[in-house]
Amino acid sequence: MAKYLAKRIFYIILTLFIVTTVTFFLMKFMPGTPLTNQAKLSPSQIHQIYKQYGLDKPLWQQYLSYLAGVVHGNFGTSFQFSDQPVSYLIGSRLGPSLTIGGEAMVVGVIIGIIVGSIGAVKQDTWVDTATTIISILGVSIPSFVLAVLLQYYLGLKLRLFPIADWGGFMYTVLPTLALAASPFAETARFMRTEMVDVLSSDYIELAKAKGLNKVGIIYHHALRNSLIPIVTIVGPLAVNIMTGSMVVENIFSIPGIGEQFVKSILTNDYPTIMGLAIVYCAMLCVVLLITDILYGLIDPRIRINK
Amino acid sequence: MKLSSFAKLGGVALLSALVLAGCGSKSSQSGSSKQELTWQESSNLPTMDLSKATDIVSAETLNATNEGLLKMSTKAKVVPGVAKNYTVSKDGKTWTFNLRHSKWSDGTPVTAKDFVYSWQRTLAPKTASQYAYIFDHIKNATKYNTGKASASSLGVKADGNYKLVVTLSKPQSYFKYLVANAQFFPQKQSAVKKFGSKYGTQSKYMVYNGPFKLTGWSGTNDSWTMVKNSNYWNKKNIKLDKMKIQVSKDPSTTLNQYNTDKLDVATLTGSQQVSHYKNNKDYKSFLNASTFYLEMNQKKDPVLRNINIRKAISLAINRKQLTNKVLADGSVPARGLVAAKMAYRNGKDYADQAEVKAADSQNLAQAKKLWAKGLKETGKKTVALNLLSDDTPAGKNTTEFIQSQLTKLPGLKITNQNLPFKTRLQRSQDGNFDLVISAWIADFPDPISFLSLFTSDNSYNNGKWKSTEYDNLIKNAEGRDALNAGKRWDDMVQAQKVLMNDQGIVPLYQQSTPKLIKSNVKGIQFFPTSPEWDWSKVSIK
Repeated sequence: MAKYLAKRIFYIILTLFIVTTVTFFLMKFMPGTPLTNQAKLSPSQIHQIYKQYGLDKPLWQQYLSYLAGVVHGNFGTSFQFSDQPVSYLIGSRLGPSLTIGGEAMVVGVIIGIIVGSIGAVKQDTWVDTATTIISILGVSIPSFVLAVLLQYYLGLKLRLFPIADWGGFMYTVLPTLALAASPFAETARFMRTEMVDVLSSDYIELAKAKGLNKVGIIYHHALRNSLIPIVTIVGPLAVNIMTGSMVVENIFSIPGIGEQFVKSILTNDYPTIMGLAIVYCAMLCVVLLITDILYGLIDPRIRINK
Repeated sequence: MKLSSFAKLGGVALLSALVLAGCGSKSSQSGSSKQELTWQESSNLPTMDLSKATDIVSAETLNATNEGLLKMSTKAKVVPGVAKNYTVSKDGKTWTFNLRHSKWSDGTPVTAKDFVYSWQRTLAPKTASQYAYIFDHIKNATKYNTGKASASSLGVKADGNYKLVVTLSKPQSYFKYLVANAQFFPQKQSAVKKFGSKYGTQSKYMVYNGPFKLTGWSGTNDSWTMVKNSNYWNKKNIKLDKMKIQVSKDPSTTLNQYNTDKLDVATLTGSQQVSHYKNNKDYKSFLNASTFYLEMNQKKDPVLRNINIRKAISLAINRKQLTNKVLADGSVPARGLVAAKMAYRNGKDYADQAEVKAADSQNLAQAKKLWAKGLKETGKKTVALNLLSDDTPAGKNTTEFIQSQLTKLPGLKITNQNLPFKTRLQRSQDGNFDLVISAWIADFPDPISFLSLFTSDNSYNNGKWKSTEYDNLIKNAEGRDALNAGKRWDDMVQAQKVLMNDQGIVPLYQQSTPKLIKSNVKGIQFFPTSPEWDWSKVSIK
């Protein structure tokens, strides 16, 4: 296990290095400057300012000095938020995105597993049809449409929850629901398909023949085996959701990271683009590692022996 | 039976008591009218370091929490700020400001040295300020900024604690506007040293000398507050106790927040919202000093060097339809390069005096006639041009509309290209376009802020339009006539007429900011140029 982990961590570092390198050079091909007053600066003034930031140096030199900074934990300072360290910018805005994304994952996956299981157990009845319709709706309605509907009915009309802003649990409910739709639908669909398969397998028949009660069979035997594919999809889904949704965050005025990623690219904010690329990549790598370890816990057949 | 009706009665009594109590607390609240304002911004506050700030949110926040020598006022006027008064030498090169005894928020005095330090800091090459160019008339400013002169050679000196002497390299009548801009505010050296790299990155890493103090700004968050500064010299005239600023980027969320009284002032976005609220009593539209215009690339396309072709393009566009039907966001047709309601002399608007009607209105018949003439002169039968603009909703709508208007000219084919702002900007600067929709936002309310763009050697003159007459007029306004306000004004009026008569650019529209403001909020001041908003006279009735 230790050897396996060491190997995986080595690969993670390698992946991070490759992603950093590719992002760095791709980003430099973008037209425009990172200067926020670009529209009013002449080329000679831009050159003058570039010199101060070291942006006039050859690309490979800029790359090496960036890498050197990263190794020492220095991700540079943002251009959009003048002088603000990128690590502080990401750190202070990632929290709300993680909170909402995390809540949405927990709510979505749990309800998804329950609804999917019910659908499978009640296969080919109206209950099954109903759960299928709900999950298809969940996949097909974009989160921002749901966000606007939730805001209008639950926030504006019924005044059950705040319309927008940030400051406590009540403020997280509507964005969580809006974001939870997609993980819910994905999990419910996978769960139902997998559970139908598992329920028709021999060992379930055996358990039934032994006279075990239905709830026991589903809980002890069927559920656990159906969870394997769920674990596969939940990892990447979690990263996707927790890195923030620009639209949902804007609709509910959440001070999250979602918009920064888009905006940093549009404004050529090089240090922020790099910082976010590294953070997202690291999150995905770690989640995939955790997923692989979880496989072993759920299914002994996949467990690593060495 | 008896018990239940008793209970019902009690319930009703309790309920009405609650309702009445609710009423009571509500009426008492509105009666006392707390001096608090909740204001919406559409983007974050990126910095409070005035040497680094470039955006409008920073500018208005700096203006509310700090104060320069003079303060901007309406109708292009300035009023005393930290300077009680000022004198200008006969040759227009020496400006002497007499400062009042005022204090920083930490109780220490604001002195002339704070101004000297601030200007030196902004211009220091190491600061890499993106607004250093605005100091260019100050003696040795450009030299110092490019590392060719020392800080001490800069034309700004403190004569004692309360007298500031500024030496300009040449007269600049609009210098009074510049010193009201955030870039010219004072900075306290000991505070900059103390906070180091953190200076201006959070509300606690700053000192303030303006009407308000900033609190609760973490540097990256979406809401912050400004409270009355008890050390401000004019605090007795500041009525507002507290201002809460809330960033709300989504237009419909903003509107919902306004309608549920979570916001006192909200910006409207897009034609749908504006047309819905246009007749509401809370609706107000504020005209910005920002003009959108079409530049025609004369370097790349010989056909655009023909004046009849350029005039035909301008005459084919119905600007009223563009602003009222297509953009429908409060914008108005542009009446030239220089924005209307921005610059005044003797109470008269520059835009009224310098307008060339034929260059900013539609006449399709005339357009077709000139177009045919132009084609004949250039020996072309068809012309294909690419129209470049931003990829914003307004940008896309504008290009689609212009395309539909210009294709009315026989033989003209327009292809649209909408790109992200910075990419578009780069292409404009590289001259990689045929037609481009450009915009300019003036830094200060003097026509020269716009007019200086189109001298033949200016790097913002993307279309490379050239006129010796225009160049000379601008040169005179900046040189020979700089001390003669009347002559200078006439030079500038004439300059725009030259530009328009030759259709060097095609003016399109002037942008405005549509807002909803609660009727009990009084005294919000708006200026067409930075800082745009001033809350020092706001009160809640």
